[in-house]
Amino acid sequence: MRTSDRRALISRILAGLGLLGIVGALPWLSQRDPALSVLRARYSELEPTPEAIAAVRAELGLEGGPVAISARWWEGVLHGDLGTSWVSGAPVGPGVWHAVGVSATLTVLALLVSFLVAAALVAPVLRAIARDRPVRGSGPVGVAMTALPEFLLASGLLVIVAVHLQWLPPYGWTGFGSAVLPALALGIPGGGLFGRLLGDALAGSSRETWVQVWCLSGAPRRVVLAAVLRRALASVVDQVGLIFIGVLGGAVAVEQVFAIPGLGRYLLGAANSQDLPALQAGVLAMAAAAVVIGVAASATRLWLLGGPLPAGAVSPPPERPHGDRLAQWTFGVGCALLALLLVLGLPRDPFEIVHERLAAPSWELPFGADASGRDLLARVAHGALGTLVPALGIVVAAVAVGLVLAFVPNAVRGPIEVANATPPIIAGVIIAALFGPTVGGAAVAVLWVSWPPLASHAVALVEEAKAMPHVKWLPLAGVRPFEVMVRHVVPVVAPALARHGMLRLPGVALALASLGFLGLGAQPPAPEWGRLLAEGIDYVERAPWTTAAPAVALILISVIAVAAASLQGSNFRWPLAPRRAATSAAPVAPREPEPADAP
Amino acid sequence: MSAPLLKARGISVAYGTRRRPITALHPTDLDLHAGESVAVVGRSGAGKSTLAEIVLGLRTASTGHVSVAGERFCGAGRAPHRRCRHLVQGVPQDAGASLPPGVPVRVSIERAIDRLGVGRHDARAAAGAALDAATAADRILAAAKIAHLDPALLDRTPRQLSGGQAQRAAIARAVAVGPRLIVADEPTSALDARTAAGLADALLALPGRTGGALLLVTHDDALAARCDRILTVRDGVVTPAPGASRPGTAERAA
Repeated sequence: MRTSDRRALISRILAGLGLLGIVGALPWLSQRDPALSVLRARYSELEPTPEAIAAVRAELGLEGGPVAISARWWEGVLHGDLGTSWVSGAPVGPGVWHAVGVSATLTVLALLVSFLVAAALVAPVLRAIARDRPVRGSGPVGVAMTALPEFLLASGLLVIVAVHLQWLPPYGWTGFGSAVLPALALGIPGGGLFGRLLGDALAGSSRETWVQVWCLSGAPRRVVLAAVLRRALASVVDQVGLIFIGVLGGAVAVEQVFAIPGLGRYLLGAANSQDLPALQAGVLAMAAAAVVIGVAASATRLWLLGGPLPAGAVSPPPERPHGDRLAQWTFGVGCALLALLLVLGLPRDPFEIVHERLAAPSWELPFGADASGRDLLARVAHGALGTLVPALGIVVAAVAVGLVLAFVPNAVRGPIEVANATPPIIAGVIIAALFGPTVGGAAVAVLWVSWPPLASHAVALVEEAKAMPHVKWLPLAGVRPFEVMVRHVVPVVAPALARHGMLRLPGVALALASLGFLGLGAQPPAPEWGRLLAEGIDYVERAPWTTAAPAVALILISVIAVAAASLQGSNFRWPLAPRRAATSAAPVAPREPEPADAP
Repeated sequence: MSAPLLKARGISVAYGTRRRPITALHPTDLDLHAGESVAVVGRSGAGKSTLAEIVLGLRTASTGHVSVAGERFCGAGRAPHRRCRHLVQGVPQDAGASLPPGVPVRVSIERAIDRLGVGRHDARAAAGAALDAATAADRILAAAKIAHLDPALLDRTPRQLSGGQAQRAAIARAVAVGPRLIVADEPTSALDARTAAGLADALLALPGRTGGALLLVTHDDALAARCDRILTVRDGVVTPAPGASRPGTAERAA
């Protein structure tokens, strides 16, 4: 095993063990002393003397340091004892098992939906390959499918299908009818992403030389098609694993919207009541599900291709000449609309309660008023700031973290994988349970899932920058390694990384909004988009505009996010040396007159 | 015979796993004397550039050590110390891309002189009469003369120079800091025949002008034949080419 590989393996093992240890030590990590609140809740007649508190601490298993607490919890888990709820005093186990059962049913239905969606998206590509027509990647339908986050889709389905059309029950877990909408809300985004990835991979694979060779040597179309499909599937199976782990996080929002007693809602309840044993059990169940998905993905890939793929083994999808322009226009128009919203709404007061409750939209109140009689236009516009400013902070922090970690690429491989496989909502639930729901906590949760892609990109950029001839030869002029990094590598890498980070800004804002929607982020009366949507949805029957205004804003940011993602795909290579031009004598360094590094 | 200027002992490069090591360069001894020019030839991937990079101190060897002019220059897992960094300088294959971009050549050279503190080590640098100039500006002018570089071109950035001019600028940069050994890694391979010939003259004159030595990695047999000695690298093993004009220095391949 190469040293770098060994380091990466050690890093992975340490990251995994660290995660397990942290789950076990969650009660210790919680900054407040739960013994006092439990004492008050259960034995209200007892004086909170130090002895009484110590007794409760012992009963809760809180004495000892983090290692002792973690070890004791894991020992219990291995004996099948998941602990006792701090709130009800009952064992946690049965409740978790029931929730897992409900969630498993829902997940199976959602998987069914996502496979149907993916099949529908992939079918045209397959048909084009079979008929030897020019193959393009997935079209705008696939993009549209992935645009909406689960919580927004779930709210939309609830409002339109259950409340407005009254075709299906709006909430509960009473029969097949009540499972349809949640399964759709959960399955469509995942299936859309799966279909899009697979469609693009198919289009890329179908252009590889071996396909032509097979066709020329008279292989039946059916055989070629099966081989292309197998090749494409193998290349996306890892990402599909991550998508389905993401579905686990989406389940929290969907179960909350439709009031389904599944694992997600269980976790959310545990977080809101700071019932840490319940939270630990829920997180353990989620982690087990994630591991099962990861192992299944690896096994599938092994079966399809027999081993991990080296980087760059998959051909990129053929470029769509007009796709980029469409994305640019969408991005531009979306940003312009957002700017218009800010210009119109920011001068208004979002907190003043002067209007009629639930007033309908009018010339005075373009978006109407909310349930307390506050101006919705003002709240949505200020909510843009409440959502986008923290998101900007997260992006800046993630870029900085990525840049710093890029200099220890092997050491961070494990944490990158663990963080990559954590859905933001789960991270938010854990942080909210530990420190209470705040904007800061939500921001940390979103940061936790935002840095890995930037760190991976930064690692690649740093490697590329270090290989540039003038950087490689710098030591000859007496430039020290640290100076090479700070003066010559970072200035080349940072702009590209910052651009990448800015393109992720809308996605980060959406993740923040989803936490706000679940009550894990900004607290009332602060205007924040997810929060506004959650507030409005209670009045959707009487005043649909209360839901419409924040929903429109969120859809706008979703569209910008998807457009930004496709721009990023097309621009991924140009920050540094374009590979095609690498053989020319032209230096790859910045083209602008460089700010001379001070002697 | 006097003590060799460059003394490399048992330098090797290996990577890969302990059980299945991949050896880029087998343990090699190499001696270069003052005033000598030595060509290193071999096919692509044979290990020529690896050898050059180790001697330059751009890559650390797995085993062995290199000393220059009696000073320990670099060794296994040890990069050259800044104090003796100026002793070995290089001329890259693509100088246009290897000189700091966007900065006039004169500025890059000034910075190199400044960083390597050549002035403080003048006694040891002893880079020949042509370089006994006091100030950095004079030193740069003298180096440009040795490199056959029009001094007016010093104020251009690497991008504004032609291929041949950039190579000469790289030679000037290398010479200006007063090295004892210059390692040129395929310096003419990106040039047309006439420019290459002119550059070869400038390179081969270096040992005479500076009193140092030249290690020239090249694909060009005619250029190699003009050197005092030829070493052949094959599969990471360095051997003197048959008919080497000045035998007597030991090359060992383990």
